[in-house]
Amino acid sequence: METLLANLALGFSVAFSLENLTFALLGAFIGTAIGVLPGIGPVATISLLLPITFGMSPTTAIIMLAGIYYGAQYGGSTTAILLNLPGEVSSVVTVIEGYKMARNGRAGAALATAALGSFFAGSVATVVVAASGPLLTSIALSFGPADYFSLMFLGLIISAVLAQGSIVKGIGMVVLGVGLGLVGTDVQTGQQRFTFGVPELSDGVDFVAIAMGMFGIAEIILNLERPESRNVLTNKVGSLYLTREEFRRAVPSVLRGTLLGTVIGILPGGGASLSSFGSYMIERKVSKYRHLFGTGAIEGVAGPEAANNAAAQASFIPLLTLGIPANAVMALMVGALIIQGIQPGPRMVEAQPDLFWGLICSMWVGNLMLLIINLPMIGMWVKLLEVPYRHLYPAIMIFCAIGMYSINNNVFDVYLMVLFGLFGYLCSKVKLEGAPLLIGFVLGPMMEEHLRRAMLLSRGDVMVFVERPISASMLAISAIALLAMMLPNLRAGKEKAMAEGG
Amino acid sequence: MKINQKDLLAGLILMAFAVAGLWLNMDHTLGNARRMGPGYMPMLAFGLLLALSIAVVALSTISGPEKLERWAWRELFLILAAICVFALILEKAGMILTLVVSISIASLADRTHKPLGVLGLIAFLVALCYLVFIQWLDIRIPVWPTYFGY
Repeated sequence: METLLANLALGFSVAFSLENLTFALLGAFIGTAIGVLPGIGPVATISLLLPITFGMSPTTAIIMLAGIYYGAQYGGSTTAILLNLPGEVSSVVTVIEGYKMARNGRAGAALATAALGSFFAGSVATVVVAASGPLLTSIALSFGPADYFSLMFLGLIISAVLAQGSIVKGIGMVVLGVGLGLVGTDVQTGQQRFTFGVPELSDGVDFVAIAMGMFGIAEIILNLERPESRNVLTNKVGSLYLTREEFRRAVPSVLRGTLLGTVIGILPGGGASLSSFGSYMIERKVSKYRHLFGTGAIEGVAGPEAANNAAAQASFIPLLTLGIPANAVMALMVGALIIQGIQPGPRMVEAQPDLFWGLICSMWVGNLMLLIINLPMIGMWVKLLEVPYRHLYPAIMIFCAIGMYSINNNVFDVYLMVLFGLFGYLCSKVKLEGAPLLIGFVLGPMMEEHLRRAMLLSRGDVMVFVERPISASMLAISAIALLAMMLPNLRAGKEKAMAEGG
Repeated sequence: MKINQKDLLAGLILMAFAVAGLWLNMDHTLGNARRMGPGYMPMLAFGLLLALSIAVVALSTISGPEKLERWAWRELFLILAAICVFALILEKAGMILTLVVSISIASLADRTHKPLGVLGLIAFLVALCYLVFIQWLDIRIPVWPTYFGY
């Protein structure tokens, strides 16, 4: 307990330095903005801003990037409530009840519920990260190479199982990502693999090019072909204060959402969007006011919004303790850390206490900032919604291009980004998901290293993966997850949840 | 036949990557399970991908019917062209001229753009990029054309 307090004190001293406060605010601000704007999400934005972070200290960089991710969860709800359009994937279900509330003249109350629920969830998740971090780290330190391999395998399986659409296609994209990650110089023998003699590829495919191409550029083209019908129907936000009755109804939903979001966030492959779907389904089943769903029930806003913010923050747990990204945003964080010369993993807590505790404390500070950014300043975000997409996409495109060029001062990377933009567009036309590919890409090289080491230690005996208890249980869970999704009942349930959400 | 065209094409794309990967991997030493060579992991990954892609193709015969959507060729071409032109001329023409050309091409992708609006947008973005990338971040990028200068 005392060490926890000492650690938190360290964290707050880091988080409250002027530089970190400024960049946490900047991150929260940018996050809210892109959350509010439909058509640009956290993955594209974070990859867009990665080049900017190279000059910062690693702690400041991660604090800002994290702010963008959870800031987007706040901003997304504004658009959902006022525009009947999700600003982010994670606020898709908020649209259903939130917009109805706005039509009933309770837009302000819906916004306040979303922001306060998110703040509560964010605070709880921060404590969970702080408490579980060191605990999980100490367990992780006893992991051998075989255990690591199986853990990553589990992460990949779950991220494919939970991805939208077909599982086989999801796993296919994961494996393709692993394959792409193998491009470049083989670490152990120095042999060039799949580089076609191109010197730029000897360090591997730049993952910023993949992320910007598939999530930034491809997204622009997809948005352009779907002409937008954006009209703010609710210019009147109304009172931000909740009535006593509304408050009383929202509290249990927020609590349930927070719990669910924290649990799903920790799972590999889980993340903000899945947890808000889940929370909506639960609220509709267990809420005392479930008969009011469809008419603007506050539970349908409070639960999912709390859940997505809790999940956004809890998904930092596997990253910070095991070095394993739970979703595409976390895959970008791994990239950001590696560029800064930090290998994410269980040793990070000891080697980089400033970063670990500073990030945790900054999350709480950031949530407080977001509350202020989102509630009293709501008018500004409504104004932002009036910026048409035609003025937005050239800016996104140009920032991608300059940012990509500036990473290595090489136009090759820009062409690579174009290639992945084309590929991303193709993928979305045939319903192949980009997120599993990105996670596979980041995990692929790590898996190869651990696999080689494990097999070397076991003298080529594959049984090592089932003989070690940790590894064996990971593989068992993977198998159960796969089998469970093959069951027609469960799969129908997942598809139903996704269909109702989308 | 209830063929799912999207799944079929998705499977074929994955299969193309798997076959290309396995073929290119023939140059690499496989090694054995105990001492894996550079070709071992690619063999596992692309082999698994090949199996999965066959499964996707097979499933496409029962998961349909679903037709491929139309492609937005015009938007696709213009946006990708705008970035390619950016990459092509940046180092010679400098950032400002490149931005003007590139944004002009990109603006054609949305038919609701008006000439005056595009001009304003270009002016705004050039100023913004100058402030962010040159003044603040100080990235190494030529601002003005260097072709005749040096």
